[in-house]
Parts: sequence; C-alpha cells; structure tokens
Amino acid sequence: MIVKNILIADDNRDFSSTLKLALEAEGYSVYLATNGREAVLVQRKTPADVLITDLAMPDSDGFEAIDAFRKEFPATKVVVVSGAKRLDAPLYLKAAELMGAHAAFRKPFDVEMLLEALKALAP
Amino acid sequence: MRLRAYLVSLALATLLPVAIFAAVVGYFLVKEQRDTFRRGAEARTLAVSTAVDAELNGSIATLLALSTLPALDDGDFAAFRVRAERILATQPAWSNINLAMPSGQQVMNLQRPPGAPLPDSSQFDADWQDAVERRAPVVSDLVVSPITGQWDYAVRVPVLRDGAVRFVLSAVVRPESLSKLLQAQNIPADWVGVVLDRGGRIVARTANPEGTVGQPASQSLREALTRASSGWFPGRTIENTAVYTPYRRSAASGWVFAMDIPASTVNAVAWRGIALLVAGLLGAIALAIALARVVGRRLSAPIAELARTSEALGRGEPARVPDTAQVRELRVLAQTFQSCIDAMREREDRLRMALDAGRMGTWEWNVRTGAVIWSQDLEAIHGMAPGSFGGTLAAFEKDVHPDDVEKVRRAVAQNFESGNAEHHVEYRIVRPDGTLRWVEGRGKVFRDASGVPVRLIGVCTDVTDRKRAEEALRDADRAKDEFLAMLSHELRNPLAALTTAAHLLHAAEPGGAAAAHARDVVERQTKHMSRLVDDLLDVSRVTMGKLALEREVFDLGSMVSGVVQAWRSAGRFSAHSVNTDCTPVWVYADRVRVEQIVSNLLHNALKFTPSGGTISLSVEEKEGEAVLRVSDSGRGIAPQALGRMFEPFVQAEDRPHGSEAGLGLGLALVKRLAELHAGSASAHSDGLGCGASFTVRLAAIAPPHETQSAVANAEPVAVLRRMSR
Repeated sequence: MIVKNILIADDNRDFSSTLKLALEAEGYSVYLATNGREAVLVQRKTPADVLITDLAMPDSDGFEAIDAFRKEFPATKVVVVSGAKRLDAPLYLKAAELMGAHAAFRKPFDVEMLLEALKALAP
Repeated sequence: MRLRAYLVSLALATLLPVAIFAAVVGYFLVKEQRDTFRRGAEARTLAVSTAVDAELNGSIATLLALSTLPALDDGDFAAFRVRAERILATQPAWSNINLAMPSGQQVMNLQRPPGAPLPDSSQFDADWQDAVERRAPVVSDLVVSPITGQWDYAVRVPVLRDGAVRFVLSAVVRPESLSKLLQAQNIPADWVGVVLDRGGRIVARTANPEGTVGQPASQSLREALTRASSGWFPGRTIENTAVYTPYRRSAASGWVFAMDIPASTVNAVAWRGIALLVAGLLGAIALAIALARVVGRRLSAPIAELARTSEALGRGEPARVPDTAQVRELRVLAQTFQSCIDAMREREDRLRMALDAGRMGTWEWNVRTGAVIWSQDLEAIHGMAPGSFGGTLAAFEKDVHPDDVEKVRRAVAQNFESGNAEHHVEYRIVRPDGTLRWVEGRGKVFRDASGVPVRLIGVCTDVTDRKRAEEALRDADRAKDEFLAMLSHELRNPLAALTTAAHLLHAAEPGGAAAAHARDVVERQTKHMSRLVDDLLDVSRVTMGKLALEREVFDLGSMVSGVVQAWRSAGRFSAHSVNTDCTPVWVYADRVRVEQIVSNLLHNALKFTPSGGTISLSVEEKEGEAVLRVSDSGRGIAPQALGRMFEPFVQAEDRPHGSEAGLGLGLALVKRLAELHAGSASAHSDGLGCGASFTVRLAAIAPPHETQSAVANAEPVAVLRRMSR
C-alpha cells in the first residue's frame, strides 16, 4: 500500500500550511486539523494513512490524538513533531514513542528527514 | 536521723567513758573518804579508850600509893582509916574505900563506923578470887552496891607484904566520873559514846547516862566483842537507830569504849560524793545537749534554708541563696551554690535568647504520667498566652493541622519502636487566631535502665518563613521552568514554519503559489520571532537594570493618535472598531518605550477582543499626571487573575495559540517601563466577558514653551533602576 493520505494536526497554521504544500509537492494528499479532537473528526471523514501531529495543542493535545487514533484507527501510522513544550524533551518524545508513535521529530526539523521517514513508513 | 540527734549522740558517746571514769574514780574517792572517816573514828575511839584507861589507872595509882602506907604493915586499921578518909576526901568520884582480907572479909569500910559488922566482898564480887590470885590491881565490873544501892565499880589493889597478899584495898568509884570524862571528849552530839565494863555493862554513856548505866550493851556490840577486841561494825542502837560503831576493848582493863556513829553521818559522806558525781554528770550531759542543740541549729538552719531555696529555684521562683550562715564551710557552700545558680541562670538566659532568636520552643512528655510541659517559647509559637497550655498530648494535637496529625503520630511512634534516638517531623499548626504556621519538631526518647521509654523531650522550630521561602522559590522555579518550556515552544514553532518554508522554496517552482505562500510565511514568522526576541530581551534588560531611557519632551496625546493612525493604515483594525480621545498632555519620557507601551496594550486589546468588538484609547491630564487608558469590550479578566496581570509569563487562560501566541511579557514590560518613568500601570475589569481597561500614568510636565529651555540644557538622563520581579 502506498502512503497517499496524510493528516497534519498542528495549531500553528503557518507551519502546517507550509508543510502541506511541501508534502503535496511530493505527491501526498494532505488534510489539516488544529487539535486532537478535530483530527479525529477529519480522519473519520477523510481517512489518512499517516498522522503527523504536534504534541502541544489547545483543548485536545497530541497525546489525546495518538490515544484516540490507536483505538479508532490502529492502522494509521503516527509521526510526532513537537516544539517540546516541556524542558525534558527527550523524555517527551520517548513517551510519545511509547504511546505508539512510529517516529518523532523535534521542531525545527529537516523536512528532507521527514520525507525519508514517510517513505519508510510505507509497508 | 537529724543532725542535732547525731551531735547529741556524739556528745553523749564522748561523755560515756568520762562518766565511767568519773564513776570509778568517784567510787574510789568515796571509799577513801569513808575509810578516812573510819580511821578517824577508830583513832578517836582509841583516844577515848586510852583516856578511860588513864582514869582507871589514876585510881589504881592512888590506891597503890595508899597501899604502901606503913600502917598496913602492922594492921593499924585506925591510923589507916584516918589516912584513907583524907584520900577519900580528895577523890570526888570515889564513894568509898574499903580494906578486905584476901578471903573477902572486909576489915575496914569508910562507910561503916569502926567496929560495925562489915560485908564480905567475895559475896558480891564474882571476880574476887581472880583479883587476889592475880596479885595485880584489877578493876571490877559494875555492881549494885549493897551500901549505896547504886551501880558502881571497884578498883582493887592487892596489898603485898613480904611477897604475900595481906590485904586487898578497894576504892568504890561512881560511874559519873567516867561520864564526865566522856563529856570532856567533845564527842559530836549525835554520836553516842559508851564505856562498858568487862561484863559488857554500860558504865557511862554520852546520851542518857543515868538511864542506861548498868544495862547490858546492845546485842550487836556484844556480838562484835566476841569476834574481835576492836573494830568497826554496822549495827543498831538500843534506840534502834542505824549506826556504825567503832569499838575497842582495852588490853589493860578489859573495859570497852564504843562510839555509835549514825549511819547517816557516815553515809552522808558517800552520798555527798555520789551526789556531786551525779550532779556533775547531769550538768555535763545538759551542757553537752545544749551545746549540741546550739551547734546543730547553727548547722542545720542554714542547710534547711539552702534546701528551701533550691526547692524554690527548682519551681522556677526567683530566690536568692541566704548568705548568713555562721559556720564558714556552710557560708562557702552557700556562696558557691549562688554562683552556680547565677551561672545556670546565665546559661538559661543564653539558651532562651538562642531559642527566641531561632524561634524555637522546648517541650517534655512524661510517658508514664502523660503530662506534657511546654516552654514559654513554644507557647508563643503556638500563639498561646504563657502558661495557658493544657499540659496533655491531646492539647498539643488539637493545634496540629488535621492532615498532619497522622504524620506526627507516626514519627513519634517510630521513635519509640525503633532504636533511633531522635525523630524529626515537619507539620502545620493552626493558631487560635486561625493563622497557619509550619513547625519543625525534633524529639529524643530517654529510656530507663530496662529500656522502657520514660521521657520524650524535644525542640520545635517555627519554620514558616523558611517554608514560605521554599514555596516561593519552588513557585518561582516552576514559573521559570514553565517560561523556558513555553519559550522553547514559542521559538521552535516559528522556526519549524521557517524551515518548512525554506524547504518549500527549494522544492517548489520559483514563481508558483507555493513559493509565494512560503515567502509570506517567512515574512510573518520572522516578524513574529523578532517581536518575541525583542520582548524577551527588553524584559531581561529591565530585570537586570540595564535598560537606559532616552527621554525627550513630547505630547503623549498626539503620539497615541499617531500610533493608532499607523495601525489603522496597516489594516490591523480591520476586525475591530477603534476610537480615540486624545488631549494634548506633555511628558518628558522615552518616546520609543512609551510607543512600546501603547503597542503592547493595543496588541493585547486586539488579541483578546473578538471580531466586531470595540477598543477605545484615551489620553488626558489629571492631577499632574498624563493618564493613558486602553479599554476593550473583549474577554475581560477574572477577579482572581487581576492582581497577577502584570507579572511576567502570566498568560490568560484559554489564550490564542499558533501564530498569535506571545510569551506573556507584554504587560510585564508595560509595567516595568511605566515604573522606570516613575509612573504606574494598572488593570481593571468587571469580570470575564465584561471587557477590560488598562491605565498607565506618567508624570506630566508643563507645555514646551515653558520648559523647553530647561530641558534643552539638561543632559539626557540614563535612569538605572533595579526592579524586583
């Protein structure tokens, strides 16, 4: 199965919109959400193969999103990108991985590396 | 036993050997005295006995002289009679002279006329033959005279011619002569001297001579005489008085002289001696006891006073050790005791000062009785009046915060169970006035010889200040942590957008929509980051006191109008309705910084007022101050958040995220900058949903044409002020 659809959950619109363009340039279809709850709703409508999510979002954060997706969309791969709101960043990302994320990136990250990771996620 | 008793015992014990010694010596002395007396009495007896003998010998001598008369050679009785009569006249004690043949037949008797019949002496003198055969003068025993009918005795002398007894010449003597002799002896009146003949009849007596003459002597004397011819014996008189009797039988005459000395007289000596001894002993004992009491009092009174004083001191009363002992050692003791107390007091005072300074109190729990004693410092820590503590564990636990009671109990229990000598626990107490204090308690268990806990003593320190400082530190630390985390997040997000945009610019077609989008993002996000960095740096500078103000004179009102105008032109008020009411007010301030204030306030107003809302700015002069007010109809501020509005890093709940996020420094900067200008900043809101207004006050100055010259001459002043966070 080729990864085609990606859902980006991030409250920073400048970031998510730019990333969307970058991913679309690679041939992906990209949807946007601004928090965890919204991500679930969007996923239900237009299911994505990969969820790229920030961890710190208002109202319903990345952990909630990961948790909800694991339950409801277990097949969807999860990639975490985070501004590491907490000081103990490594632990934060580790926690995300423990929760089921397949990859984790710390902002700002090299977009090329994210693209590589997405390619690797394709089974 | 009391000190006095010991001293008395000591005195008596010392007296005992003395008493024994005195008794022994006394006994010997008394004995000696009695012996002396006896010897004296016996000597007296001898003297009188000798005098009696002398009297008798006198009579014998006279008769002997008479017996040598030549008239007796021839038997010339008549001539002899004349001579005898003459001699009789010279002897008042003689009552008669008679001459008798050796057979006893008298041949001459002066009491009978010549030629009258004459008695036979041997008839009434039992010892006649004895007298004749002896051929020596004899003294007869007392007989009742046939002539006179009275008791008298005869002194007989044998008349020897040519070695043969021719006649016996006798003189009849009246006993009165011996009585007189006795009288002359000056025998003490209560002594009874008595002369006895060989037969034991009383011849003469100092007491009642006529009544007793011729009577036999007392039984005891007669018995004594059978035992020895002289001696001393205790007996009784014929009047039945107890007496001691020295007596002597003359070897020559066989007559006895005895003296009855009343026993009382003899014993008086002994009694006197004993009385003296006993009196002396009693006196010594009394003296010893009296001395013991005095000395005892001198010793025990100061000691008792010392004991009372130390008791009082133990109770905590301020007593002074009495210094009035007369015994030097006790005085020294009192003095050292006092200096010891003074030293202890000093130490106590120092300890109390230390405890006071350290805000510490001490307590003691007697495990057996359950009583708890608190020092005054501890009562003060608990906010109680001195002396008002209940004295029980319950009274203590009553003050402890309910959430901490278990913790305290467990700490103490652990102390008891395990070997650790000390427990350490922190707990809160509630004072009577309701305030909360943190207390750090340390306690130590003291056990008796068998390991059973006996006492628990401890120290409590009021650590509220420390705890609060710790809390404040923790809070500050946490706030800093949160800020740093937020900073990290707020900077990383724009950076992520920038890197993504950079990638897009690489990957996308140069003229395409994607590229354009990327360029917009770069512009926006770099501006945003720039703002953030500027705010951060400004706050840091102000905090470190390194922000310099560059003042100038300008009109605040027109400046504010200008800013509003610029923002409006830039389209920033597109979603809101913004109006101004700016009157000219001149200030001497840093224009750039004041603009920053206005910008921050406007920025916030826009952020927190939903689309369609109203924002109002006003500038006016009031009471010498330039007052800038920015009000909005936006979200408003909750009452509890109002006080913390101007604190750095404080952000509103439910704040907008994403590109519009800030660091919470805007208002902090506003306040700091206003204060740097010696002004102030304040916030007001009627509550959530009721909008908010922010007011900044700066010192107003007179319009320029008055002050311009003054200011022109002044140097721009760099104001350095250290601000506390």
